[in-house]
Amino acid sequence: MARADNLAWPARYLRSRRAKVLMLLSVVGPGVITGNTDNDATGITGYALAGSQFGYDLLWVLLVTAVCLWAVMEMVARMGVVTGKGLSDLIRERFGVAPTLAAMIFLFVANAATTVAEFTGIAAAAALLFPFAGDAARYVAVPIAAILVWFLVLRGTFRIVERVLLVLTLVYVSYAASAFLAHPPWGHVIRQTFVPTLRPTTAFILIFISVVGTTITPWMAFFQQSNVADKGLHPADLAYERIDTGIGIFMTQIVAFFIIVACGATVFAHHVQVDPSDPSAFNKIALSLAPLAGHYATLLFAIGLMNASLMAASVLPLTTTYAITEAFGFERGIDKSFREAPAFLIIYTTLIVLGAGVAMFPGAPLALITNLPNIVNGLMLPLLLPVLIILANDKRVLGQFRNGLLANALAGVVLVFLTGVTVMFLASIFLPGLFG
Amino acid sequence: MIFLSDFLNAEVVDVRQHRVGRVRDLVVVMTEPFPKVTGVILKGNRKVRSLDWSVVRSWDNKELSLKVDAASLQPHSRADSELWLSRQILDKQIVDMDGRRVVRVNDLQLSQVEGALLVVGVDIGSRGLARRVGLEGLGRRVTATLKRDWPQKLISWEAVDPVKTDVNSVKLRIAHTKLAKLHPADIADIVNELSPDDRSAVFAALDDEKAADTLEEIDEPQMQASILERLDVERASDILEAMAPDEVADLLADMPRERAQQLLQKMEEDEAGDVEELLAYREDTAGGLMTTEYVAVLHTLTAAEAIERLRELEPDAESVYYVYVIDEEEHLLGVLSLRDLIVAKPETKIRDFMIKNVISVRLDAGPREVAEVTSKYNLLAVPVVDEHNRIHGIVTVDDVMERVMPARAGGRRRRIF
Repeated sequence: MARADNLAWPARYLRSRRAKVLMLLSVVGPGVITGNTDNDATGITGYALAGSQFGYDLLWVLLVTAVCLWAVMEMVARMGVVTGKGLSDLIRERFGVAPTLAAMIFLFVANAATTVAEFTGIAAAAALLFPFAGDAARYVAVPIAAILVWFLVLRGTFRIVERVLLVLTLVYVSYAASAFLAHPPWGHVIRQTFVPTLRPTTAFILIFISVVGTTITPWMAFFQQSNVADKGLHPADLAYERIDTGIGIFMTQIVAFFIIVACGATVFAHHVQVDPSDPSAFNKIALSLAPLAGHYATLLFAIGLMNASLMAASVLPLTTTYAITEAFGFERGIDKSFREAPAFLIIYTTLIVLGAGVAMFPGAPLALITNLPNIVNGLMLPLLLPVLIILANDKRVLGQFRNGLLANALAGVVLVFLTGVTVMFLASIFLPGLFG
Repeated sequence: MIFLSDFLNAEVVDVRQHRVGRVRDLVVVMTEPFPKVTGVILKGNRKVRSLDWSVVRSWDNKELSLKVDAASLQPHSRADSELWLSRQILDKQIVDMDGRRVVRVNDLQLSQVEGALLVVGVDIGSRGLARRVGLEGLGRRVTATLKRDWPQKLISWEAVDPVKTDVNSVKLRIAHTKLAKLHPADIADIVNELSPDDRSAVFAALDDEKAADTLEEIDEPQMQASILERLDVERASDILEAMAPDEVADLLADMPRERAQQLLQKMEEDEAGDVEELLAYREDTAGGLMTTEYVAVLHTLTAAEAIERLRELEPDAESVYYVYVIDEEEHLLGVLSLRDLIVAKPETKIRDFMIKNVISVRLDAGPREVAEVTSKYNLLAVPVVDEHNRIHGIVTVDDVMERVMPARAGGRRRRIF
């Protein structure tokens, strides 16, 4: 029999070639999924408010957040590939119970707020889709969505649902189309993308923080790492995973770019005042799709918002629940019964009930609620990032794959930037006169 | 009850009540059945970083008093198979052998036995968690007020297997001897919940047979491949030799080509040959599905000789569904059941009582065709032949069903994250 070195593997080799392509496709997954989930209800709202209120002035922030995203996401993806563990696993093993408890409380609060925002996104989308139904629209849509999400995830059909929702994110192409049809001053748009503009007003600072906060969230770091770890990749696949992460970030940012441009070229250019606490804020934002869809602009906007909200509403409570149960070693898994894994189901259900409950609160200012978590998340980042940096530098966690000089320098710069943003925000609250 | 968390951060004072430092960690040696505390790792003292447990006189209320003067302290003498409890066990995952699951260590229960301090149990419950953050007392008052019980959730050290100790494989072999006693299917379930490094650590500790059986129990070829990729080539090829060739072929096809060839080269010649033959067939054909482990005897033998031949071959249980009858060029002539062989008169030639029209499939038959044939004729296995009717292997009914049936419901635990 021929020895292995001169062996021809005609058929199986075909298969293994195919396997390589599949490998790339299957590896190009976690990052892209995370990137797309990032454009959730809070993301769409944050970017749309940025474009509606300040035109193209905040476009440059997207470049900055892309760099921040890379620094954070590359670290967690690397940790996921090399250790095969979730982020909260690593936090628990490296820092012990007390710091883990603090981290999990923060994570729960921030994610509960974000879940509320996602269900509010569903409420807002329902209100836009069925304007004749008045408030009834959201009183019907939100509970249905909550039950749907709860059920789909626990029945294990989540992966399929996720794929469907991912395909539906093609809706975002409409922002690009709308942006082009609105004929924005491209020269000015490009300039604003690369040249930073800062306005020393509280409103500007708030939007600035929320754009940063919606793009780089702590829960995404947890989500990405779990997703990557679940793939069971080998450290040799690290290059693929970096490509995947890069593509994910690019997709997030390009969507954000076109949302801002579309809103800037329409809502802002026509001097429509958008106040997040105004119940009709979403109707005004929806005008950004008018150049493409005309009278159907509202409908298109609502579909995009509904899709984004549903996707994040399924992912977010689950990610949070996994993170917490993992950290404390509670039984977990979507296929466990209540008797087997009570903590898992209690936390998961609480998040959904809480999210849906608050979103149905009568007279809730929807756009404001969907923007609030961006600020909370933005504030939490300077706390999470040092944890990531310590873990990614630990020889016993990552061995030869721990942070190099470059990764540390980048993470350091990002940390300084995010801390600066936070300090600026706190200053704008406590010293109201500072920015005029 | 004494817990590790009582010691961590405790003040250490010498015989003259001078402060020496605080406890960073306790060191144990892996004695059977319970690890014994042999040393203390200190913090807050630049000169003395560790000390032997033998110089500890007593401890209480978060204070450790020594028998000796601080100046005469010697550093703790290192031993093999030593573990740092806080760094290497606390907060880590550990295998609960009775529950056959992976749990997280919230605290460790210690016990004083004949002057020695031993690790006797692992706290996996909420009380351990509360104790770590100093809330156990509060929790107990609350549960007492509510007239509720708040039980300790402890498992005996004898019933656990530390998953991760160190990258030192010698230590791991010692550490996983308990795990190796479980059924391969149970080990596979546990391995499923571990991180890639820990998985390989478990495999490093199993003997080749057990490792092979466990690997076959793991359903996902991707995970099988990733486990083998993390073992060294020698070891990985030893495990592969102990596996069925068709499983090996499936597994290698999921690996990077260079690595797969490397492994094949290290395998024994005839084992590797079987695997290579299987690798040459497309996965979605009978050739790709079949195994080369089947029993075939020459048509010239008598029943007694055939039985004798079977004894020599010592085939695995699952490959003796049928005994195939071949000529010198491996042409498939007939088939026998074991029953046919045994009830036949010993001196009868087997070609005289074998079933002559054998149901077989061609190498390029699709899984559906194979499945139809096996179910139509109620076969446990069907022989696979080439265009000249030479036998190359058999496809067993469970292998083809696995392929034809949509993803098995209720299989291994579903994972999202």
